[in-house]
Amino acid sequence: MIGSVEGTGVVSADASLVARLRDGDERAFDEVVSGFSPAMLAVARGYVGARSVAEEVVQEAWLGVLRGLDRFEGRSTLRTWVLRIVANIARDRAVREARSLPFSPSDFEGNDPAVDVRRFRLQTEPYPGGWRSFPSDWRLLPETQVAGRETLDAVREAIAALPDAQRMVVTLRDVLGCPAEEVCEALDLTPGNQRVLLHRARARVRAHLERHFDG
Amino acid sequence: MVERPQEPASGYTCREVVELVTEYLDGAMTPGERAALEVHLNYCDGCATFLEQIRTSASLAGGVAPEQIPEDVTEALRAAFRARREP
Repeated sequence: MIGSVEGTGVVSADASLVARLRDGDERAFDEVVSGFSPAMLAVARGYVGARSVAEEVVQEAWLGVLRGLDRFEGRSTLRTWVLRIVANIARDRAVREARSLPFSPSDFEGNDPAVDVRRFRLQTEPYPGGWRSFPSDWRLLPETQVAGRETLDAVREAIAALPDAQRMVVTLRDVLGCPAEEVCEALDLTPGNQRVLLHRARARVRAHLERHFDG
Repeated sequence: MVERPQEPASGYTCREVVELVTEYLDGAMTPGERAALEVHLNYCDGCATFLEQIRTSASLAGGVAPEQIPEDVTEALRAAFRARREP
């Protein structure tokens, strides 16, 4: 396997980290706990909802990680492996609490247009399917407004209001910068379904920002 | 500014393009689809602006402070980590 340390099978970027953890290096542990926990919380909240329950799930997942560390074979990255553990625990918890699970067929079906269809011309009009009026160019806004505190609050608000499955995916991808492949592997999503959720989430964040900027 | 929507020859309408931007940004389109989309983006200011807005939305999300677990949980985990080494 390319990028692996001979004999261990652990992907090289993770190999030294895993070795330090197995060795009891507390700084390595602090590093992974602060580094991975935001993504773990995002996954847990998508299943269990409440922040306090999600924190319990993350704690339980870390204990599971510690128990399983010696069995980690490096077939995925350490973070992906940890995210799969938290997803499993969170899913069990949600089932126990009879909560509806994210990634049900209804999350992918249906017509959820990225832009209000009334903003496009009808089949019977000239240029069918074309914009009635173009979206405004945010690059013309002052930089301080676009990247300002109120804008970030608006983004946070928009993400918080998303359906669970969309919020999980956009938090992992855009807030935390996880690659698409990792999100698919951690959450057992096909690339197509992952993209549908990300697209719907980004479209809603964009629409919220449009109202924020255009008033 | 005169708002001139897409020409039919482009293959995609604006209404279709807005549904394809994430696929485009993730590099998940076939070369043919990608080329057709780029033709559209090259002369449709509305869709080019929409793509830019989606890019901006995604990059602004990267500026949102992620939620972190509370310090007492971290402390409890550290204790569990230490205990793991003890016989």
